[in-house]
Amino acid sequence: MILTGLILLVLAILGAPLFAIIAASAMAGFYRSGVDLSVMGIEFFGIAEMPILVAIPLFTFAGFVLSESQSPQRLVRLSQALLGWLPGGLAIVCMAGCALFTAFTGASGVTIIALGALFFPALTKAGYDERFSLGLITTSGSLGLLFAPSLPLILYGVVAAASIDQLFLAGVFPGLLMVILLSAYSFWINRRIRTSLAEISGKEVLAALWDSAWEIPLPIVVLGGIYSGYFAVSEAAAVTALYVMCVEIVVRREIPWREVPRIMRESMVLVGAIFMILGISLASTNYMIYAGVPERLFAIVDTYVAGPGSFLLALIIFLLILGAILDIFSAIILIVPLVLPVAAQYGIHPIHLGIVFLATMQLGYLTPPVGLNLFIASFRFERSIVEIYRATLPFFVVLLISVFIIAYWPALSLVLVD
Amino acid sequence: MNSKATQWLARAGRWGRWLENTFLTLLLSGLIVLASAQILLRNVFSIGLAWGDGLVRLMVLWLALLGAIAASRENKQIKIDLLSHSLSEPLQRAARITTDLFTAIVTGLLAWHSWRFVQDARLFGDTLLNDWPAWVFQLILPIGFGLICYRYAVRALQQFPGLHR
Repeated sequence: MILTGLILLVLAILGAPLFAIIAASAMAGFYRSGVDLSVMGIEFFGIAEMPILVAIPLFTFAGFVLSESQSPQRLVRLSQALLGWLPGGLAIVCMAGCALFTAFTGASGVTIIALGALFFPALTKAGYDERFSLGLITTSGSLGLLFAPSLPLILYGVVAAASIDQLFLAGVFPGLLMVILLSAYSFWINRRIRTSLAEISGKEVLAALWDSAWEIPLPIVVLGGIYSGYFAVSEAAAVTALYVMCVEIVVRREIPWREVPRIMRESMVLVGAIFMILGISLASTNYMIYAGVPERLFAIVDTYVAGPGSFLLALIIFLLILGAILDIFSAIILIVPLVLPVAAQYGIHPIHLGIVFLATMQLGYLTPPVGLNLFIASFRFERSIVEIYRATLPFFVVLLISVFIIAYWPALSLVLVD
Repeated sequence: MNSKATQWLARAGRWGRWLENTFLTLLLSGLIVLASAQILLRNVFSIGLAWGDGLVRLMVLWLALLGAIAASRENKQIKIDLLSHSLSEPLQRAARITTDLFTAIVTGLLAWHSWRFVQDARLFGDTLLNDWPAWVFQLILPIGFGLICYRYAVRALQQFPGLHR
């Protein structure tokens, strides 16, 4: 059993797909317990029994369409018109724009490519230090993770069987905390940049609003619909996909029809990769629960950890290490079923746990060696990964502080819930 | 591998890609239309298609597997891959062949056991969505895993020294 585990570990490190590793370990476990292996097919079919999952392909596709259109440019123009008059406000413009865009496009790293390329020259032109600008953009690429309707929030709700509506509410203040702390840091670093980028101009605000007239209803309808309870999350996803397609392809014609199959394929490649792990792990999680892994895990944790406080500390450290080697989607699917029952023993609210989990994993986007944002920024801005890492480090520290505040102040997450 | 076989593989690859794209586009478009239609019917006309939600969920499963097939073709399955970059070129190739073969075996097993699951469902006459035989919808499991297995097996073979043209 230990030997199987070791072989699988080596194969994983050598680059075997994660789903194959999980499938092999689950099949080995079931085989040893004498369970018929057709259970793998039965469990995978469970994907067709979770109504909420439809939100994932629909939101992902909508996000891909948005980032292929000119919406990023319009979003940048609008946020500059609205906030550009603040002294040193461009950094905040950048974070706000990226957060909104990430929430809607599913935190797949596309924000840096779509928005970062527009903000980087604007930031350096406005007198921001180049290293600061690089760090800011790399960090902002995953900033909207805690805001509805981001994919990781939905996925956590699916895996933890927690209310996604409540998760959407719980993410609001912790997400804002991250933005506020990062803004404060930016203000402090750039306190010498006293001149504002532009005078506020009513004319430009109106023009930018008019320019984005088709996109502005989207967050209002989707977020308003979800928060007011008018739409279920999966319905909001369908509305978003249909609306985005109509606007960007039919009305604005920024994406030609012949490009649509390619965008569909690209977005479904991501969905397929995530669902493959999800489907297989439905079986492996079942095996682990059958084999009593959560109880044994709790027994081990309990000998080292005294209470909820130290449990959260251990969890954050564990997730920081995990986040450095595993992407956020796989981490949610694989780790949440194990951590959730253990956390429940310490009396941690599942919604609060979700926010802490995602906030910590957000740092994973910024930690080497596999931090996705580091690679994308390094590729997009043609800098070495070490340079990007150095530029991102201070932002990482600020985010780490906010993770601790989120973890040890549960009310911040839970005040809107229930 | 002789050039005829390579040619045949290349042609099969092009056809496969075309089929994948067509199915993906049709399914995703159908999903968007059906999911939106359900909302419209429910909220405006206060009616719903009884089988609509079930069909939407099955379409998601099919999309997931088609997406996974496409991801395997483009080698975009999620992986950890910590070590392979620091290995020498021959070792890297050996690592790729090993992991691809391993993945082919695992997905081959998945395909075989889900095929047995489908056969059982057929034998017991399971039904979905108002009396449709369930096995029709479940068939995507062995097909999907089988194609992923094929994809990894071909890639493993292509990397053997001397086999690739």
